Amino acid sequence: MAEPGPQGQLDDAMMDLLVKQVTEGLSPAEQRALDVLDSAVASANLRQLERAAAAVALAGCANAPPLPADLARRIEHQALEHYAGAGLPGAGLPGAGHARPATIKPARWAPKSGNYGWLAAAACLLLAVFAWNRSPHPAAPVAAGTPAPAVIAPLAKPPTAAEEREAMLAKSDSLKLTLGATKDPAAAGVSGDVVWDPVTQRGFLHFVGLAPNDPALRQYQLWIFDGGRDQRYPVDGGVFDIPANATEVVIPIHAALPVLSAKAFAVTVEKPGGVVVSGREHVVVLGAAS
Amino acid sequence: MSPSVLQRIASGDSAAVRECIEQYGALVWSLARRLSRSPSDAEDATQEIFLDIWRSAARFDATQGSDKVFIAMIARRRLIDRLRKTSAEPPMDPVEALEAVAWADPGTSSETSLEAEQATRALAELRPEQRQVLELGLIHGLTQSEIATRLSMPLGTVKSFMRRGLIRVREFMNIDAERILSEG
Repeated sequence: MAEPGPQGQLDDAMMDLLVKQVTEGLSPAEQRALDVLDSAVASANLRQLERAAAAVALAGCANAPPLPADLARRIEHQALEHYAGAGLPGAGLPGAGHARPATIKPARWAPKSGNYGWLAAAACLLLAVFAWNRSPHPAAPVAAGTPAPAVIAPLAKPPTAAEEREAMLAKSDSLKLTLGATKDPAAAGVSGDVVWDPVTQRGFLHFVGLAPNDPALRQYQLWIFDGGRDQRYPVDGGVFDIPANATEVVIPIHAALPVLSAKAFAVTVEKPGGVVVSGREHVVVLGAAS
Repeated sequence: MSPSVLQRIASGDSAAVRECIEQYGALVWSLARRLSRSPSDAEDATQEIFLDIWRSAARFDATQGSDKVFIAMIARRRLIDRLRKTSAEPPMDPVEALEAVAWADPGTSSETSLEAEQATRALAELRPEQRQVLELGLIHGLTQSEIATRLSMPLGTVKSFMRRGLIRVREFMNIDAERILSEG
């Protein structure tokens, strides 16, 4: 039965098109079909449905995580540039370039079926077969103590990754784990730790002595085991590199998925770009919550 | 009544820009994270959304809804557009591990918005499977076909649930379509 429109009736097919436009967008052919409607009636219905959909989305955003500080600064800088160009508010305020702090680039989420479950004990991580996807862009690590690029000149100098890590370590509710080295050659002499803030969904890897890698030959890949998720699917943490001259590095983590309850972290050595299914022979470091 | 932050932006108050980011950053970020394919996608989308907000602030009409819903509408348009331009992969959240949605608590409109409260009340009246269809589509960004597959539900049923659910929410929001038309 057709739903009543604001003026006249729209049949179910047209109403379905409007709903689809609001929920997932239309193909060109569907858009052409919609265009033949009375534009005023369709437009009014569309606005109503958009408001309803936005209200539902808004209702589902209670307790939303905060906007990351570095992203907020980039947006503010972008606004200054926008208004400077438009001759509107903010015009004339100095701005800096659009530099982005280095982060781990996460792989896309498209897990294949795994054969093993998530193993709570750290030692068992070595026996897990992970189901992963490829990460196309490696991220540069941030050498400890190296200032992060300034993103907005008028604002205070942003904290370095090392400073942010220190601040996170001081928080009582952050998860802190020591990463233990395995017998993998890349792990010889390495020490490391991870700090993870479950509220902001951010964290930092910290390594001393992790062997440099040639990105053309191999890369490191991070995985986060989430106790709140299907045990077969660790959350992909993306790939990263260790430069030849680096001894101590701090690497910001941006998980590909919300991590409900981080239980363990593991770093593997994989082919460039990461892997879909990892062999277990190249786990470099790992650490599990007690 | 004092002007909203969007109205202040439209009138040239540069201080309102930062206030807007502070007030609505979490909302936009939350929507972007759910309807993007990766955190880096979500960051790019969030920047695009705020650019859209700066460009659209002058069109905000406080008599037709709250600034939060206005911003959520802008955000969803941009996010849906971005999803359609990329591959057919679903957004970040796999359905098997959907995080529990934190719904607005009816009666806390000062913290959320009247519309969110109305939507929550409307959703509470729906059958569980109908509410799940709306949640998967509107909160987690799955297409209707993906929802049908995930829930082993006929596509026609998904469409019907989505359409009727949205209309029920619309009724709760008591949108005066005649007024929109006459002013449109």
